Amino acid sequence: MSVSINKVEENKTERLKEIVNHLVQPMGKSGIGFKIWIAFLSILAIAALAMYIKQIQEGLSVTAMRDIASWGIYISNFVFLVAVSLVGSLITAILKLNKIKWATSLTRISEIIAVAAVIFALIIIVVDMGRPERLLNIFMYGRLQSPIVWDIIVVNTYLVISLLLLYLPLIPDLALLRKYKTDVPKWQSELYRILSLGWQGTDEQYKILKKSINILMVLIIPVAFAIHTVTSWLFASTLRPGWDSTIFGPYFIAGAFMVGAAAVVVAMYIFRVKYNYQCYLTDYHFNMMGKLLVLTSLIYLYFNVNEFMVPFYKMKTAESSHIKGLFSGEFSMMFWMVQILGMIIPIILLLFKKFRKPKPMMIIAVIVVIGAFFKRYLIVTPTLLHPFLPVQNYPESYHHYVPSFEEWTITLGSIAGVLLIISVFVKIFPIIPIWEVAHEEGIDNDILNK
Amino acid sequence: MKLILFLIFIIVIVLKSQAQWTIPADASQKINNVEITPKSLTVGKSIFNKMCQSCHGKKADGMGLMKSASLIADSLQLQKDGVIFYKIATGKDQMPPFQSILKEEEIWAVINYLRILVNPDSVPPAKNVKLILSGTGKGNQRKVTAMVMEKGDSAYIMQPDVDIHFYIKREFGLMRFGNDYNYTGSSGKVSAMFPTGIIGDKEGVVTIYAKIEDSFMFTETTDSIVQKWGKPIVVNNEAFDERSLWASRDKAPVWLLLVANGIILFVWLFIILVIVNIFRIKKLSKLFIK
Repeated sequence: MSVSINKVEENKTERLKEIVNHLVQPMGKSGIGFKIWIAFLSILAIAALAMYIKQIQEGLSVTAMRDIASWGIYISNFVFLVAVSLVGSLITAILKLNKIKWATSLTRISEIIAVAAVIFALIIIVVDMGRPERLLNIFMYGRLQSPIVWDIIVVNTYLVISLLLLYLPLIPDLALLRKYKTDVPKWQSELYRILSLGWQGTDEQYKILKKSINILMVLIIPVAFAIHTVTSWLFASTLRPGWDSTIFGPYFIAGAFMVGAAAVVVAMYIFRVKYNYQCYLTDYHFNMMGKLLVLTSLIYLYFNVNEFMVPFYKMKTAESSHIKGLFSGEFSMMFWMVQILGMIIPIILLLFKKFRKPKPMMIIAVIVVIGAFFKRYLIVTPTLLHPFLPVQNYPESYHHYVPSFEEWTITLGSIAGVLLIISVFVKIFPIIPIWEVAHEEGIDNDILNK
Repeated sequence: MKLILFLIFIIVIVLKSQAQWTIPADASQKINNVEITPKSLTVGKSIFNKMCQSCHGKKADGMGLMKSASLIADSLQLQKDGVIFYKIATGKDQMPPFQSILKEEEIWAVINYLRILVNPDSVPPAKNVKLILSGTGKGNQRKVTAMVMEKGDSAYIMQPDVDIHFYIKREFGLMRFGNDYNYTGSSGKVSAMFPTGIIGDKEGVVTIYAKIEDSFMFTETTDSIVQKWGKPIVVNNEAFDERSLWASRDKAPVWLLLVANGIILFVWLFIILVIVNIFRIKKLSKLFIK
């Protein structure tokens, strides 16, 4: 009898080693492709930095923003990045709290996307400031009555919770890495040692860990809703056509879940192919994420119908020029591309099982993400170009906004920065939670602790 | 064959769109009968500033708000006065016709002004004059009077036909009042009614200016008077002293302070709890090793 138990235990130990090897192996290897990728992202980021230095020297006049369009692609990018970051709460909290098993191997992917995106959302806000050296004034003189101050508080809070939610489930994995991954530079093993907190995997430690993760999972949902609702209020709390809407909060959140789910699908595909994680990111995962993407897109479509149908039916004076600009005017090309290619066609395609396979889904998800970026642009810019007060003696160019080269470079650089954080992170830490996968396979703590 | 026809069609269209501005022969022979005098230049400049500058630019170089021709380039300056007159009077495409808006001598004055722009040395030197502003009257019948004179050998000589601009100083600039043109009479004086309902400072004091501007005859000259002619301004700070959404940060509404800080405290309490738990985990590891 005891022999068979030993046998089972041995098998499980073997299986654990297999899992660890499989999940940790790709981290060390960095092929030429990876190096080119990092170099490419670094060049984009450095170019953006150079352009930002130019912007500091010459002022915001290097951008195309002028008196009328005072928010441009920077703020669109901020809204986009905040939207992407919301996926952290969708997958690590909402799905996990619903005890959806397949979400386990996606939690860390979504959480690192969330952290990287929200870091650059904060950076891009500073980039948009004409006088960044006065940043501290927001904290010294900011009024609690202002939605901008709410946004600062809530974005920072969300960053802290996301970081904790990334870190806490990492602790048992760090202990495993300390044990199994010894062929690393000294700084890296030192990093594992410090961050793993000397994890021993006692029952009490697991209890505290799981309780803390549960607290964060519950806490992050309202904070995630708050971060994007407040971001939408930056627009909705002003009296302008296109922004003066009561459904802006849920409209933004629905859109965020959609783009976030799409971003995770893209990341899933890359890890599946590059890291050979076919057995952790299975066709089933893609199938389920496809269904989730359809669900979030349908909700977003519903809000879109509300957001455009009601003003379109009424055609109030100020709203009508805004709506006409989107439907048939200056922005109609981009608007219909975003709505049809970025939302309606993905919904239709993903209803078929054939398209919920990894490769077609990845392509659809990339289109959804790009569409989502321009959707944010369409929310921010056209409204600004229709000022409520009649304006006089403005140069013709002030009535149009086309982002300048500097703005595009900085925007691309910020997105490169997000990808850079993720790329470096996955080289140091396992992107699939090892201990959670082990638990699901019935490998208990005793074996993990050995 | 079809291709050739198509090309001819395209060429015709291109040529047509670039067609020259055809001027009737008799129109181009029209003679400018307004002499280039300081007065006509002043009139021309003032009309240019009002009607032409917005499109053609302050320097008449075509760099205004709209795409427009340069009026100082040879392409215009080499044209006869009569041709320019015809163009201003009848207009074409973006250029509006001015024949119903401006008098004939006004158009000539504008042309004289355009000629001077490329040849500024030919303008006679501006005279230095003295401008004196005074105010009289009561109630709704208050008026200001400007008097322009030049220092002669023995006495001051009154200057007729000087256009005076009247202004009231406001918080961020000057507000014009009086007629579009206020030419001084033979006595060198011109008056303007002070508008009613003007708000002054706390005592109702307003500052009034008279200016000679945009003139070729005289250098820029200003005089001002201070009169207690306005209504006293009533500053109501009550709304700012109450707690409200638009008040300063130390006057935020109580409900907002409670709700916002309550949410912040609530969330951060749990964050701190989790951070404490991290240290508890660390402590447990040490205990275990012991």
